[in-house]
Amino acid sequence: MSIISVQDVSFAYNDDHESLKNISFSIEKGEWIAILGHNGSGKSTLAKAMVGLIEPQVGEIFIDSVKLNEETSYDLRKKVGIVFQNPDNQFVGVTVRDDIAFGMENLSIPREEMLERIQFYADKVEMGAYLDKQASNLSGGQKQRVAIAGILAMRSDILIFDEATSMLDPYTRNDILEYMKSLNKEGFTVIMITHDVNEAIQADRIMIMNQGRIIAFDKTEEILKNQKLFIENHLELPIALEIALKIDKSEYRDKIWEYALKK
Amino acid sequence: MNSIIIGQYIPGKGFLYRLDPRTKMISIIFLMVSVFLLQNVYQLFIAFGIGILVLLFGRISLLKVIKGLKPIFLLLIFTFIFQIALNKSGDVVSDTTMHINLYSIGAVVLAFVIWRILVRFNKLKMLLFLVFVVGIYFIFRYITYSPDFYSFQFTIYEKGLEMSAFVVVRLLIIITLTTILTLTTKPTDLTQGMESLLHPLKKIGFNSEEFALIISISLRYIPTIFDEAQKIMLAQASRGADFSEGKLKDKLKQIVSLLVPMFIIAFIRSEELADAMESRNFVPGQKRTRINILTFSIVDVYTFVFTLLCFAGAIVAKVVL
Repeated sequence: MSIISVQDVSFAYNDDHESLKNISFSIEKGEWIAILGHNGSGKSTLAKAMVGLIEPQVGEIFIDSVKLNEETSYDLRKKVGIVFQNPDNQFVGVTVRDDIAFGMENLSIPREEMLERIQFYADKVEMGAYLDKQASNLSGGQKQRVAIAGILAMRSDILIFDEATSMLDPYTRNDILEYMKSLNKEGFTVIMITHDVNEAIQADRIMIMNQGRIIAFDKTEEILKNQKLFIENHLELPIALEIALKIDKSEYRDKIWEYALKK
Repeated sequence: MNSIIIGQYIPGKGFLYRLDPRTKMISIIFLMVSVFLLQNVYQLFIAFGIGILVLLFGRISLLKVIKGLKPIFLLLIFTFIFQIALNKSGDVVSDTTMHINLYSIGAVVLAFVIWRILVRFNKLKMLLFLVFVVGIYFIFRYITYSPDFYSFQFTIYEKGLEMSAFVVVRLLIIITLTTILTLTTKPTDLTQGMESLLHPLKKIGFNSEEFALIISISLRYIPTIFDEAQKIMLAQASRGADFSEGKLKDKLKQIVSLLVPMFIIAFIRSEELADAMESRNFVPGQKRTRINILTFSIVDVYTFVFTLLCFAGAIVAKVVL
C-alpha cells in the first residue's frame, strides 16, 4: 500500500476558481518526488491538502492507509512534516532550541527526551552550536535547517518541502538540496515542491502541474525525454537539456560530439 | 539588522541574573507594598540606602539604573517643584522675594540658550536640566538691579520640603525596583514567569499559556517586522517618499505609505505562521510539555527571606512608629 494516496481530489478557495481539479496519484514509501509547476499551478494548495491544512471539497487523501480528515489530521500530522517557503514565517520559538522543541512540546514529549532529540537533530542539520541563538541572528538557510530539524524531531517520516529553497541564495539552496538527498537515502519519503526545473530533476519522479491539474507524473528520465512538457507548461528547460538543444542546432555540432567522444 | 534589543535587558552576571523571574516579580510586588507602607521621608531614605546596597551587591551599574530613570525624570522634577510650591504647612524654612524684571528675564533667556547649547554636546542631559531649573530660582531671587514688573513671595515650608522629598524618593525607589526587573530579566523569562504566576487564573477561564505564547511570538517577531519596516521605507523612499521632512500633514501621508504594506504583510505572515504552527500539531488549549522550565534555587530562598524581612520591617514601621 502506498504511503500517500490521493484520490480524485478537487479544491476551490472560492466558487469561481478551482485550485485543484481531480487530482489522483500515489507515492510509495522512501520515494523522492518533485512536484513541478509555475506560480498558481496549485502545487502549494496540494501540499496544504496533504497535511490537512485545507480540506478538499471532493475526493480523499490517505496517508499510510488512514483517511485524512478533521479527526485523524492530528495523528497524521505526526507522520507528515512540512517546511514552508518563508524561513521567517515558520520560526515559532524565540531561540533555535525553542523552535525545534515547538512541535515536540505540542506532542507532550517529556522534557529530557526533547533535550536529547534537540541536540541530536540540531547536530544533524549542523545547527548544534547555535541552540541559544535567536531567529533574528540567523540567515535564511540556517532558519530553514532549523525548520527541518523541528519536523525531524517530531519523527515525521514524510517530509514535504513547499518551495523551501526559493528564498535562499544558490549556495544555501544546494545545501538544503543535499539535506533532502541524504534524508531520502536514510529512508524518508521526500516531496519537494518547486518551480525550479533544475532542482526537480534530482528527484526520482516528477509530477508536472498546471492550472490545478496533473499534466504528467513519471520517472525523471521519462519526463526529460519529453521537452514539450516543459514548454507547454511555462517551465524552463533543464540546463543540461537546453545546452544539448543548443549544441544540436549549432554548426559545430559534429565537432563537439567528436570532442566529447574522445574525452 | 540585528542590533535592536527588546526591552532593557542587559546581559550580566550577579545574583539578580540568577534569580527565577517569579522570585523577582513576587519580591518586587512585596517591596513596592513595603515602600508604600513607609510613613516618613527618613524611613524612605533607609529603604533607598538598602536599595543601593542591593544594586551594589547585585553588581548592577548605577549608571544603567539612572538611565532607566530618564523617562520619568521630568515628572520627578515637576513633582518636586509642585510639592514645594503648594504645600503650606509646618514651619517656614526659607522666605524669599522673587523678582521678575528686565534683567532677570534676560538672564533666564540667556540661561535657556546656554542650557540648550550644552545639551547638544553633553551626555548629562538630566543633570543640566536640574541645574537649569535651580538656576532659574537663583536668578529670580538675586537679580534685583532694575525695577520689578512683578514680584512675589516664594516661601518654602518644612512640611512642603519633607513631602516633596517623600514623594520623589518613593517614586525613585519604585522605578528603580522595576528597572532592576527589566534590566536583569530576559523578556522571554518575564513572559514565562508571568505565565507561571497567572496559572491559577485558569479556573476563571484565563489561559495563561496561550497568553504567554502570544507574547513570546510577538517578541520574536518584533525584529523581523522592524527589518521589514526599514525595507519598505527604503522602497518607498526610492519612489520619492520622504519620511523625515515636510509638514506634519505630509509626514502623516508618508506614514500611511509605510503602514499599509506593513499591515498587509503582517496579515500574510500571521496566516503562514498559523499554518506552520498547525502543521506542527499545535492545538490551542491543548496540554503541552515545556522545554524551558523555571526552577527555584537557594538564591531564591535568600531573596524571599530578604523580601519578607523588608516587608516585616515596613509593617513594624507602620504599626509601631
